[in-house]
Amino acid sequence: MKRAVAALALVIATATPALAHTESDGYLELVADGATVTGRVDLGARDLDDALDLDDGDGQLRWDEITAATPRLHAYLTERIHLRARSGDCRLDFDRLGVVERADGAHVAVTLRAVCPGPADPLTVDYRALFDVDAQHRGLIRFTAAAGTTVAITAGTPVTLVGGARPSIRSFLTTGVWHIWHGIDHVCFLLALLLPAVLSRRGGRYAPAPALGPVVRDVLAVVTAFTLAHSITLAIATMGWFTLAPRIAEPAIALSVAAAAANNVWPVIDGRWAVAFALGLLHGFGFSSVLVDLGLPGRALGPALFGFNLGVELGQLAIVVGFLPIAFAVRRTRGYRWFVIVGSAAMILVAMHWAIARATA
Amino acid sequence: MLAAGAAVLLAIVVAIGVAPPRPAGSGAALRTPRADEVIAAVRARAPGERTARRQAAAGDVAAAARIVREDLALARRLGDPRYLGHAKAALAHWADQLEPPPPLGLLRATVAQALHDFAGARLDLDRLLARDPTDAQAHLTRAVVALVTGDRSTAEADCAAVTATAGELWGAACAAPLVGYAGGGPAGRARLHQALRHAGRDPGVAWARTALADLDRQLGDEAAAELGYRTAVALDPADLYTQAALADLLLAAHRDAEVVALLAEATADHLVLRRAIALHRTAGADARRDVDGLRARFAAGAARGDRLHQREHAMFLLAIEGQPAAALTAALTNWELQRELADARLVVATAVAAGDRAAAAPVLAWLRAAQIDDAIMAADRAALEGQP
Repeated sequence: MKRAVAALALVIATATPALAHTESDGYLELVADGATVTGRVDLGARDLDDALDLDDGDGQLRWDEITAATPRLHAYLTERIHLRARSGDCRLDFDRLGVVERADGAHVAVTLRAVCPGPADPLTVDYRALFDVDAQHRGLIRFTAAAGTTVAITAGTPVTLVGGARPSIRSFLTTGVWHIWHGIDHVCFLLALLLPAVLSRRGGRYAPAPALGPVVRDVLAVVTAFTLAHSITLAIATMGWFTLAPRIAEPAIALSVAAAAANNVWPVIDGRWAVAFALGLLHGFGFSSVLVDLGLPGRALGPALFGFNLGVELGQLAIVVGFLPIAFAVRRTRGYRWFVIVGSAAMILVAMHWAIARATA
Repeated sequence: MLAAGAAVLLAIVVAIGVAPPRPAGSGAALRTPRADEVIAAVRARAPGERTARRQAAAGDVAAAARIVREDLALARRLGDPRYLGHAKAALAHWADQLEPPPPLGLLRATVAQALHDFAGARLDLDRLLARDPTDAQAHLTRAVVALVTGDRSTAEADCAAVTATAGELWGAACAAPLVGYAGGGPAGRARLHQALRHAGRDPGVAWARTALADLDRQLGDEAAAELGYRTAVALDPADLYTQAALADLLLAAHRDAEVVALLAEATADHLVLRRAIALHRTAGADARRDVDGLRARFAAGAARGDRLHQREHAMFLLAIEGQPAAALTAALTNWELQRELADARLVVATAVAAGDRAAAAPVLAWLRAAQIDDAIMAADRAALEGQP
C-alpha cells in the first residue's frame, strides 16, 4: 500500500534507467589468523556514488572515476570501519580495488588487512559505512576464525563476533561420503582397479578366479593401498606442509584414471595394489582442495580430517560392496572378460578427455 | 545379454565424459575492469541536492522536507526502496525527537509506512492527530496503516475524517477497502461512482478509480475492474500499484501475453515478478533472466531480513518455484505483518496449493469474523472450508 503518498508528493526528478533493486547492502568478509585479519569490504557502486559523489554528472559511473577517488574511498572506509580485539584496537589498512557482481548490481570491493595487539578472535566490528546516506543500509559481516565461520547483520551498532561453533565430525563424514560418490573420477579409478579383481592372469590372458578367498584378499589390498595413499597426501596437504595446485592435481587425477584403466588393457604392473598406492597419492591432493573449499581454517583440523577421511572410506566401501558380488557371480562368462577390456578402454578415452579439459580450463 | 550390459556401461561412461569436469580451484576473484568501463548507471543529481542533504543533516527543516518529498516521489515512481533509505537518512537529525517540527513528523510517518514500519508510522500519526485533528493527510495515512494492521475501527474513523477535511472523493476512496466487509460492497461502489461523477479534475481521481476497480474485482466484476485500472493507469502512468493490480487481473484470466506487453519496460521488482510469472507460464525463453534476478534478490533480501517483499516472495515461491509449502510459510509470515485482503488471498491460495487447511484456519476465521465476501478467492475458500 503506497497510495497515501499520491496526495502528498508531486515532484518531478531526473529520470534514469533503474535497474532492478533490493535495499542497500554492504558485505564485510573477515578472516582472522592469530592477530592478523585479512578480508574485503564490498559496497554498492551506486551507494558509493551517493556517499562520495564519484560520477562526473553524466549518469555513467566509470571505473576510472572510482579509482581516481581511491584515497578518498580509503579515508571514508578508515573513518567508518573499526576492528577491535579483546586486547585493543586493530590497525586497519585498505588496499586494492576491484569489482564484484552481486544480485543488486556491481559492488566495489576493497581488500583490507588489520593487525591487532593480540588474538583477533573474538573480534568487535564497528561498521558505519553508508548509514549517513541510506538509513536502511545493512552491513552483512562474515567472520572466519580457527573454529569456524560466524555471520552477523549490523544496522550501525558494533557487533562482537566469535569464530563459529566447531563443525561436527559427522558433518565432515557426510561430506566425505558425498565427495567420493560425486567425484566420479575417484569412482572410476576405484572401478578400474576392481574390474579385474575377480579374474586372474594366466599366460597373459584373463581367466576367472577359482575362489572367493583370493579375490577378497586382492580387493582388500587394492582398497587399503588406495586409502593409505590418499590419507597420507590429504594429511600432508591440509596440514599445509605440501600442496599441489588444483590446476596440476586435477588433470593428474584424470590421467591416473586413464593409467589404471590402461593397466587392465595392456598389463604392465601385476600388483594392482602398487598402482592403487602410487596413483592414490594424487587423489589425496584432490580431496584436500575440497576441505579447503569448505573454508576451513589451518588449525583445529584434526577432527575434520578424521571425519572426512572416514566418510571417504565408507563411500568407497559401499562401492566395493555393490560391485564385488555381481562381478564375482558373472566372472566365468566370456562377456565379463570382454567387458573388462571394453570398459577400461572407454574409461581411458573419458579420462583423457577430462585431463585435457582440466588442463586447458 | 552381455553385449547389452557392456553397452549400458559404455553409455554410462560416455554420459560421465560429457558431464563438465569439476572446476579447478574456487573463489570468485575480484575483477579489475577497463578504465573506461561503465560500472553502474547512477542518478544524475538535481542541482543543489547535495547542498540540501548537507543542510538537512545539519538540521535545516525546509531542506529536509524538500529532500524527503523528492526521495518519496522517486521511490514511488521507480519502485526502488533505496530512496526510502535516503529519505530516512535525511531525517536522521530528528530521529530521537518524539515530535519533529512540521511537516517532518508527517513525512517521517510516510517513510515509515512505505518501509512497512507500521508501528513507527502509527506512533507519529497518533501524535500528529492528537495535536491537529484536521490534518487530512495524517488521517489518510493513518487509515492506510490501520487497514494494513487490521485495525478496522480506526481506519473507518479516519476515512470519515478524510471525507470531512478533504472531500467526498478522497473519503470514498479511503473507505473503499473497508466497505467490502459485511456486504457493504455494492453501496460502496455506488458511493464511489457518485463521487467520481462530481470529481472533475481532482488529483484524487486516479486513486479513486483504482480503489473502485479493486472493489469491482472483489465483487466479481472483472470487466469493470479492468476498465477502471486501465483508466487509472492512463491518468497516472507512474502508478506502479495500479499496474500491478491490472497485471494480477490479467494473470488470473491467463492473459499472459498481455501481461508481458504491459510490463515490458518494468524494472520494479513487484512488476518484474508478474512479468516473470507470465513468461514462465508461456515457457518464454526470456523468463530465465527475470527469474534468476528475482531469485538472487530474494536471497539477498533474506540475508538482510527484508520485510518489504514478503508478499512477492510468497507469490514467487508459488507461481515460479513450484514450492507451495514454502509459499504458504511465506504467506503466513507476511500475514503477521500485513492484513489486507490481498494478503488473505495469498494465504488461502497457497494453502490450497499446499493442501494444508489447518495452516489457513486463522485467516479463514478472520475472513468469517469480518464477514468478507471476495469473488477472487471464493473458489479457494470453498475448497478449504469444504474439507473435513
